[in-house]
Amino acid sequence: MAFPNLVPTSRSFESGDYPVKTFKAQSGAETRILYGDKRTNMKLSLTYSNITDANAALFLIHFDSETTGTFSTFEIADNTRLGWAGHKRDLGAANSGNRWRYESAPQQVQVRPGVSTVTVNLIGVLT
Amino acid sequence: MAKVYSGRDGTMQVNGSTLAKVISFSVQSSLETLETTTLGENLRSYSPGILGYSGSATLLYYKADNGSINTSSLLNKLVKTGTAGVSSSDTVVLTFRWNDGTDNNDIKMTAYVTSASIGAATADLARAEISFVGTGALSAVSI
Repeated sequence: MAFPNLVPTSRSFESGDYPVKTFKAQSGAETRILYGDKRTNMKLSLTYSNITDANAALFLIHFDSETTGTFSTFEIADNTRLGWAGHKRDLGAANSGNRWRYESAPQQVQVRPGVSTVTVNLIGVLT
Repeated sequence: MAKVYSGRDGTMQVNGSTLAKVISFSVQSSLETLETTTLGENLRSYSPGILGYSGSATLLYYKADNGSINTSSLLNKLVKTGTAGVSSSDTVVLTFRWNDGTDNNDIKMTAYVTSASIGAATADLARAEISFVGTGALSAVSI
């Protein structure tokens, strides 16, 4: 089962960084060494407010049976970026050779019978 | 026959007994809405949430010929001695009625009294004010 193709109600994205090691001398001079040519460690936080329990369960099932928790990587659905007018590569991980994995388990909050809010935190990792 | 109701047609009952000297009452129903608007949409959308009932009433503080006080059944739910506080049995059955002869239009609910106040002021009548919140479903609606 693929990542649920639902439109989030809120989304935040951190674009990660290139693998840079910074050294600082006692004089204050800074030296940086670039260890790679691919940006990584981007973070994507998605909130799906007031969705049906059936849709909320899709995330729990995906986390459990598809990705083995935080172990396996995957691609996200296009609807995850809906509302973003820029290029989808700028709000993604694949362009830098990354794939998404769960940074933590999906959080499900029961709002009322049959209605839940789910928060999903993803992190981009080089594969 | 057509009729416009006024305050003269309104009565309030507590546990089936009509309260004397009610100045005013109001009943509110409110629906909590859960927003389901998603990214990429320009108009808000909602899913129905929890429905609830609440209201308030103002009564003159009045002693009847038999010595009973009209506000006792309401004020005593909160203003009382002892350390037990309020328990789940401290509900009251409130009926709000708009009367037209033998035709009664009612809202009836089980409620907790959530606030009660009583005071006295120079050159004014003593009055009690209560607020309540309904618990569970309305037991009768004929409005």
